[in-house]
Amino acid sequence: MDPSTSRPAVVIDNGTGYTKMGFAGNVEPFFNVPTVVALNDSFVTQPSRSSIKGSSSWLTQHSAGVMADLDFHIGEEAMSKSRSSGIYNLTHPIKHGQVENWDAMERFWQQCIYNYLRCDPEDHYFLLTESPLTAPETREYTGEIMFETFNVPGLYIAVQPVLALAAGYTTKKCEMTGVVVDVGDGATHVVPVAEGYVIGSSIKSIPISGKDVTYFIQQLMRERGEHIPPEDSLEVARKVKETFCYTCSDIVKEFNKHDKEPAKYIKQWKGIKPKTGAPYSCDVGYERFLGPEVFFNPEIYNRGFTTPLPVVIDKCIQSAPIDTRRALYKNIVLSGGSTMFKDFHRRLQREVKKIVGARVHASEAKFSNEVKAQPVEVNVVSHPIQKHAVWFGGSVLASTQEFFTACHTKAEYEEYGASICRTNPVFKGMY
Amino acid sequence: MILLQSQSRYLLQILTNRVQNIDKGVELDCHWVEFDDVRYHIQASIKNPHLLHLSVSLPTPPPETEFSGGLPFGAIEAIKAAYGSVVHILDPPRDGFNLTVKLNLSKLPSLEEMKQNLLVKIASVREVVMGAPLRVILKRLASRSVPPNVGVLVPLLHRPNESFFIVPQIEKVTVVFPMRFNDSIDTVLAASFLQEFVEARRTAGLNNAPACLWSSSPPNELKEAPQHALSANAGFVSFVISTRHVEGKKLDKTVWSLSTFHAYVNYHVKCSEGFMHTRMRRRVESLIQALDRAKLDENGPASQSKSFKRLSIEESRGNSYS
Repeated sequence: MDPSTSRPAVVIDNGTGYTKMGFAGNVEPFFNVPTVVALNDSFVTQPSRSSIKGSSSWLTQHSAGVMADLDFHIGEEAMSKSRSSGIYNLTHPIKHGQVENWDAMERFWQQCIYNYLRCDPEDHYFLLTESPLTAPETREYTGEIMFETFNVPGLYIAVQPVLALAAGYTTKKCEMTGVVVDVGDGATHVVPVAEGYVIGSSIKSIPISGKDVTYFIQQLMRERGEHIPPEDSLEVARKVKETFCYTCSDIVKEFNKHDKEPAKYIKQWKGIKPKTGAPYSCDVGYERFLGPEVFFNPEIYNRGFTTPLPVVIDKCIQSAPIDTRRALYKNIVLSGGSTMFKDFHRRLQREVKKIVGARVHASEAKFSNEVKAQPVEVNVVSHPIQKHAVWFGGSVLASTQEFFTACHTKAEYEEYGASICRTNPVFKGMY
Repeated sequence: MILLQSQSRYLLQILTNRVQNIDKGVELDCHWVEFDDVRYHIQASIKNPHLLHLSVSLPTPPPETEFSGGLPFGAIEAIKAAYGSVVHILDPPRDGFNLTVKLNLSKLPSLEEMKQNLLVKIASVREVVMGAPLRVILKRLASRSVPPNVGVLVPLLHRPNESFFIVPQIEKVTVVFPMRFNDSIDTVLAASFLQEFVEARRTAGLNNAPACLWSSSPPNELKEAPQHALSANAGFVSFVISTRHVEGKKLDKTVWSLSTFHAYVNYHVKCSEGFMHTRMRRRVESLIQALDRAKLDENGPASQSKSFKRLSIEESRGNSYS
């Protein structure tokens, strides 16, 4: 038997904002690092290698104390490096859930594997994730890098929402039908899944994501005139979002509450100015509940897009095949870091219920109350591992023995080429 | 990153987190695998937040290496010397592992800096265990004592079912690595990488580095080695370590660099593949640009030589009636 199937598979969930990585069979990802690469680009601008004699080109670099092509960092290190010195360029390889910069992505994986997980990629099967609307070409390219550069013995590219559903799979029953509301840092998707199959035509995505909440908070704080150093304001907004934000049930009541008891609701944020090192503090007030409100009343943030998230979810389910709709309403699963606001699922459930209730009511009125509809059960499922739901689902999936048979193997790659990654061996012909 | 670090990043993260939130001790049960098939398992319970059980399994040793009780010789002494009372070795180890230790975090030194150093040391448990025999030999070299086995070949565990060889002598120690790679492209890249590596050693800046040789056939030192150890598809690398490389603090670094030499080469082979891909992508982009420039303008002669003519509505009607 192939010895690599006895070792745990590596699960890497590359998100727009954060990358979660670890070994299958564990409960939590080992590392959760921002998906950024700090590159020392000086080797790009150097005169071409061929003009210098082979042995002297590395020598010039060696005496300069760097190997520029190896001089790059990812994650938190990258952020701090780029802040402290000017020779690094910060690159975000993934934008809106799609890989844009393959050079940076390849380096990112390289560091994930060798510096963070410290494993030999030839020893492990890999499970990577992609967003539901990824083009097959992207998948091919991913496969090419994994097989050519890293020589992985096997690769499986899973769709994020399916994994998020699979994460709930172990905690209760094997429910593979549901709507996954995946609110990440860079992309928000509402994806209906029926019996493990993504209903591709009904996927809805909205242009509001975790990043927008951060921008909105930044904007609110700036407009109120809080004294935050401008170079730090985005970072502060992100921290405020992660530590203080919550979902309110009624925006007007919440304003009143804040005005009556400011001492109870207004929080303090303390920071240190990066340039001078002087400490500063600022108040965190309405943005605590206004931030997450962006999902329910998008018009307060963005004029171009005004459909609230619950309406999008309802539309998505209504466009799915009619026999799946009840099951879909019953299992609305949250995933992604930006669904972690307190009471987010309660608010969502209430609003979706309201919409469904209104529709049922209207149709009953149409038939002058002669026909009674069976009540529609609406359930928004929230679980503690929601933040890492996709990764956890991947970990669960990859720890089963069947996973290894479902993978694209290196032998297949060598036989047929990168096109094997176009199809998913489990759902052949689905994509 | 040019060199691999000796501490396991994840283990260090777990330990630091644990020490910082000792009163909020949570259930912990993780397992992972590092390069060269070193497996870790760490377990802790809520009841005793100070106690952690860490198990390590080593790669399967090839038949020629000396192993006592599942560990390389000298490993137990090395663990005791490195960690003192914080670590307690459990015998027998957990099922499927070579070593299980109990870490008692309440016995960590109170001084912040010392504590951190010890945690890093615990996180590099792999270096301590697997590098133990090498360390013994290099220590003898550092103290210039005459080794008991001058000129005798010592095989040491390197990777699963692979070993590297050491020839201790009075003033120097020769270390020979047979280099093996699975993939044919990797083999080629590794072979040329190693030749460059040897070349690099000859430059003026690196005069003090250990002498280094690469050859495609087994060197003389390996005359007595078992036959199966001599099949290396990327050649043999030998280093000559002299006393100045193992003085004082250099010893740890030398032990680590030598015992992970294969992982180091492998990492650099993968890096160079990545770098080549970057250059290939850039080249494709520039070629596509050149092609785009060669395209003719919309208003140029290309639009006049259309190969089809669209029928107008009248004409098509006329056609269908006729």
